[in-house]
Amino acid sequence: MNTDRRRNNAPPGGTSAPVFARTIREPGYLQSLRPRRSRGPNELRRIFLQPSIIPSASGSAYLEIPTSSTPSTSTLVPPTSSLKITASVQGPKPLPRSAPFSPSLLLTTTVKFAPFATRNRRGYIRDTTERDLGVHLETALRGVIIGERWPKSGVEVVVTILEGDEDGWWGDSASEGSANGSGWGLLNVLAGCITVASAAITDAGIDCVDVITGGVAAITRNPDSRDQKDLARLLDPCPAEHKEIVAACAVAYLASRDEITEIWMKGDIGADPDALIEGATHAAVGSLAVVKDVLLEALQAKFQGQLEVKESGVKRKAGDVDMTG
Amino acid sequence: MAPQQAALVNLSPAELSFLRSSLAQTPPIRLDVTKGPRDFRSMRAEYDVLPGANGSARIALEDGTEALVGVKAEVERSPQRPSLGAHGEDVDMGDEDVDESTGKGQNGWVEMSVEVPGFREDDSLPVFLASMLKESLLASGELKDRLYINARFHWKLYVDVLLLSPALSYPLALLSMTTHLALLTTDLPALKSEKDEDPLFDDDWDAAVPLYPKTAGKTTTDKPPVIILAMAVGPNIIFDPCKEELAVADAVLAVACTNTSSSSTGARIVSIRTIDPPSHLTPPGIPNSMNSATGGTAPTSSADALTQRELLASSGVWTPPRGGMKRNLISQVTKMVVESGGIAEEVISALAAIEVG
Repeated sequence: MNTDRRRNNAPPGGTSAPVFARTIREPGYLQSLRPRRSRGPNELRRIFLQPSIIPSASGSAYLEIPTSSTPSTSTLVPPTSSLKITASVQGPKPLPRSAPFSPSLLLTTTVKFAPFATRNRRGYIRDTTERDLGVHLETALRGVIIGERWPKSGVEVVVTILEGDEDGWWGDSASEGSANGSGWGLLNVLAGCITVASAAITDAGIDCVDVITGGVAAITRNPDSRDQKDLARLLDPCPAEHKEIVAACAVAYLASRDEITEIWMKGDIGADPDALIEGATHAAVGSLAVVKDVLLEALQAKFQGQLEVKESGVKRKAGDVDMTG
Repeated sequence: MAPQQAALVNLSPAELSFLRSSLAQTPPIRLDVTKGPRDFRSMRAEYDVLPGANGSARIALEDGTEALVGVKAEVERSPQRPSLGAHGEDVDMGDEDVDESTGKGQNGWVEMSVEVPGFREDDSLPVFLASMLKESLLASGELKDRLYINARFHWKLYVDVLLLSPALSYPLALLSMTTHLALLTTDLPALKSEKDEDPLFDDDWDAAVPLYPKTAGKTTTDKPPVIILAMAVGPNIIFDPCKEELAVADAVLAVACTNTSSSSTGARIVSIRTIDPPSHLTPPGIPNSMNSATGGTAPTSSADALTQRELLASSGVWTPPRGGMKRNLISQVTKMVVESGGIAEEVISALAAIEVG
């Protein structure tokens, strides 16, 4: 294991806030605090997206999926988590002289959780889940970018997760600890990463075949019904709202080409994964509407600004001529 | 920004174009012409090769790729957590021995490490391979429940995957088959103590219980998952591609599946991932019409060059593939894998036959 030896680190297992026996009044009390999904099964959470937030990067974007439930005052257990991701694109820039020849654009993706992004503190060095997410993001983007137009150059996509979706509800003590977690929240994080990286790449003006967006769908077991076989398909699941997720799938979807560049599906899927993939593409189409609107708005604002600058420049020149003449 | 360490195939654009067109025709002609699209490369497999491990296996493919997997189990103390709301625990002590361990297993009890020569352990390829293998192993939840001993102790399973040769082709399928065979032949010492006592084990190795119980009568037990690599070239789907074939793939899909619990035929999927095909990094070809050395005219501006390139799409000059995989192609792949008599069933039964024979 590569641990960070240069700093004084927090305990590796993380710390959990003490839960005092007095807060638990009766056995069923904790379960009654569990957040419930108030959206319909095909309804997505709201998305906030803002491109060009980092001036020094050639392209950047910020995505936020705010928490759906209002914080309650009666308990310390937070109901649901929210997702906040920034992405910045550096390049395309020439490769260093020492690097061997590359016929196409070299894409490097770095996904990093901020140390405070999840309940268990993340270290400064990327761990395996972060590297794994980086590979997923790279797979999603590699098919979209037209790399052969930039030989001998590289581009870096750096994604920082400021707040990540939790793998489960905080009240479920079994899901404590990142190593023991089921990793359902990571699928939401990946879909968010894909959407925000796509917006950042478009903002950087790198040639793509289409705008790519991420979407998640899940199959959950209904806790109320007695039947074990009672499964429901949901779009954009919030892991905290469901006690048992059977399977989930994140895709990166190119809507106008009807193609998928990345699938990450896990869980007990059974013989037919088509319904799950279809649900995830529907979710991706939902976030595509937001991405398109936001990018169009940003483009209009940019050109509006340029036109104004040009006009004022012309005026000033004219004024100068007048002065000297 | 270090370039990819994975050794790319050294094929010229003309060779890539030739290979692709022969794989895209019906029926496809593979690099090894004796093989059909569903054929796997032949392999030599053996198990119980490491005396110091609970289970082990070695598989060598005909092209010289060789993988070794050792499974070791250790008894570990489970961390005691304050139980929330379960104050009435001592009431329901007696009647719970039926499904005592279901749902109590934790994902952290299985640890997987993949070592590929030429790669650091934190490089993206070994990390990706390890997480795919681990994820498919934990998907069903039955394995981790079997590692539960009692409230205070559990087995910790270490699966160490070693690729002995350099990664000649994408090693995921090989590593997963070797892991499958090793887990299938893993034995854990038989438990002699009862309930919440400190665990005491039978020192007779013959009494050891297999980690994946053998088929008892008609009920089929679950088996470790296998990962099947499939690639798409045009309309064709080709399984178990070799390195050169991967270099012209439109898309590559890894499907992890295990046997169904209900019937003995068919399979169920536990995990799917797309893999970035190396074809995205291949050099594009330059057509004669754009090459002044072959009588063409070199484009005057870069914009001109771009337009001419875009017009080449179907001319047979090699251009790296763009975009992803059509949805119907994905469902076609999964169907070919999981259907009764499909690829998954074939692979699982072939690996089971190694152990029996």
